[in-house]
Amino acid sequence: MATSMAAALAASLPAPQAASAPVAPVHEPIPASMSKLIDIEVEISLNLVQLEGLVVSKIIKHCSESHSSVHGLLLGLDLDGTLEVTNSFPLPHSTGDDDEKSSKTTSRYQNAMLRALKEVRADDSVVGFYQSTTMGAFFSQTLVDTQAIHHEKLRHGGIVVVHDVSQCNRGNASFRAFKLLKEFLEAYRKTPFSAKSMINHKLTFNSIMQEVPLKIRTNPLLGSFISTLSERRPTSLTQPLPSEVYHTSLSPLYSTLHLGNPTLTKNLENVVEAIDNYKTEEGNLAYHTRQIAREKARAEAYVAKRREESANRVAQGLAPLPEEDVSRLFKIPREPSRLDSMLLLGQVDAYAKTLEGTSGLSLVKMYAARAGTDANREVFQ
Amino acid sequence: MTLGPPSSAVCLSLSSGPVYRAPSVTIHPTALFSILDHYLRRTDTQQRVIGTLLGTRNEGDDAVSVRTAFAVLHSETSEQVAVDMDYHRAMFDLSQRVNPKESIVGWYSTGSNLNTYSALIQNFYSQETAPYPAIHIALNTGTELGEEAGVKAYVSSPVGVFPKPENAVFVPIPITLRTNNAERSGLHLLENAPSSPVGELAQLEGTLNDVLEMLDRVLAYAQEAAAGKPADAALGRYLMRALGGGAEESGKGGFTSSLQDTLMMSYLANLVRAQAELSARLALVTGS
Repeated sequence: MATSMAAALAASLPAPQAASAPVAPVHEPIPASMSKLIDIEVEISLNLVQLEGLVVSKIIKHCSESHSSVHGLLLGLDLDGTLEVTNSFPLPHSTGDDDEKSSKTTSRYQNAMLRALKEVRADDSVVGFYQSTTMGAFFSQTLVDTQAIHHEKLRHGGIVVVHDVSQCNRGNASFRAFKLLKEFLEAYRKTPFSAKSMINHKLTFNSIMQEVPLKIRTNPLLGSFISTLSERRPTSLTQPLPSEVYHTSLSPLYSTLHLGNPTLTKNLENVVEAIDNYKTEEGNLAYHTRQIAREKARAEAYVAKRREESANRVAQGLAPLPEEDVSRLFKIPREPSRLDSMLLLGQVDAYAKTLEGTSGLSLVKMYAARAGTDANREVFQ
Repeated sequence: MTLGPPSSAVCLSLSSGPVYRAPSVTIHPTALFSILDHYLRRTDTQQRVIGTLLGTRNEGDDAVSVRTAFAVLHSETSEQVAVDMDYHRAMFDLSQRVNPKESIVGWYSTGSNLNTYSALIQNFYSQETAPYPAIHIALNTGTELGEEAGVKAYVSSPVGVFPKPENAVFVPIPITLRTNNAERSGLHLLENAPSSPVGELAQLEGTLNDVLEMLDRVLAYAQEAAAGKPADAALGRYLMRALGGGAEESGKGGFTSSLQDTLMMSYLANLVRAQAELSARLALVTGS
């Protein structure tokens, strides 16, 4: 079991030196002319993420089945700056009661799945993960944590594809790909995530992630199958008809035309809730800052008093008081992490952005509908 | 069946008899796409690929909805057929971890030829899905000359005086493609592939253009009909109903009040975003 586990682990971690593996056992220095040929992909930065049709439908299926936020792994290959995502599988929803145990079972599940996919000749190298979101707010501690872990294990640091469930239900399948920015990662590794390192790296919530352009692709077989599905066939109506009357297996998509937006209230609630959370976090930060300031002031007062005493003793011809370690007497709390508040602010912004988008959209729809009804009334009067 | 030993006559009546209702099968796009992907990744020696179908059953009316599929290893030679059962079980257990509601409903294969091996595999899957009948979906990829891409569904029943696993009648049953709202949006994206996901406004524009095109077609049809060309009366009535109604949905007052609400919302959203941006910038300034 131990050996197979190790093999599975090795298989699950995409080896960045995969291309150089056959060369490695020879133990000879790689010639300079060859070194460029070996695993050159690492050097080429990602500029496009390409989602295969199968992945699109799998992600949509998984995300629309669950009400809470779900995530899964993306499998594929990078080639010449394009990350081709050809397969994906969902990860079980973590129960969260026993962290270590659940993460262990998840990784066992992950390895078993990768092995199984390899057997049927599917791609089995992890390139990133996907996550569902509602109303566009996807920043969370877990996302950043997972992505930071992936950054060390995967080539190009791995990507995260975010799928917006609420938009998809309204008729617009939205997929966006992101990767962590270097500046953020540097600051993130320095714990605590202090205000100073934030300033040094010039971090705002906008500079956590960088969006990577995303393209949808269908392989020729899938493309031809879909075109068969959407082929126009003559109807079964018996009367002589003009040739334009037909029907297709794929019904046209008109859910975007719905006037009302049932998620608008929810969106507004989300904005308010996010602002509340942010306010609480700000309160915590302020409390911590005050605490630090108070402790520091007490420590300084103590030091000053001691120095004065010491000076008095010197003036009286006595030996000065021995030096004391002040930091041991006064426990100055560590500076609180600013990461939470930054992520929350990012959430506020994302929710507001979605709200802005949907309200703009409904404005357009309302005017269009009014024009339509007016015209209709004129015709039928 | 308690009528005695099953004979072929009884079995054949299954498809039309009032006693037995054939299950109605709906299939979701993810299952179809998984099958196609599996077919693409087959080895050179494989004539067809098979796999397990997962889905849900509706207890009341025998409706089966096939939601997803996974590939299963198998080999076929002229002498024997072998299906990797361990693999099938392992994959099923894995998928149960994510979605325990989905159960095995049947199996798929590509190509449209049903043979003895099909009957054998069907026999195995019948044990997996018991007490319900196993559904077999044959997907024709349309890659071979003269074959049209398409999907067919079957249930099987034993045939002969002494039923043997390698003998079965495959009874075709109707199958439809079912998509929910989210899946429909995804398909729309794939229809226009290669493409990039667009914003909602651009999506709306596309849909409005579709509607415009359709209105043009309806108008052309109506004008032709008015000019005396033969036309379908039912269609005319349907058009009348579709276009005539719905004019009184929102009055003037409703419009202004929702306009105010929407504008308010837009203003609020902008305000929040400006404040958030400001706050993020200020956090950078305070320390220095």
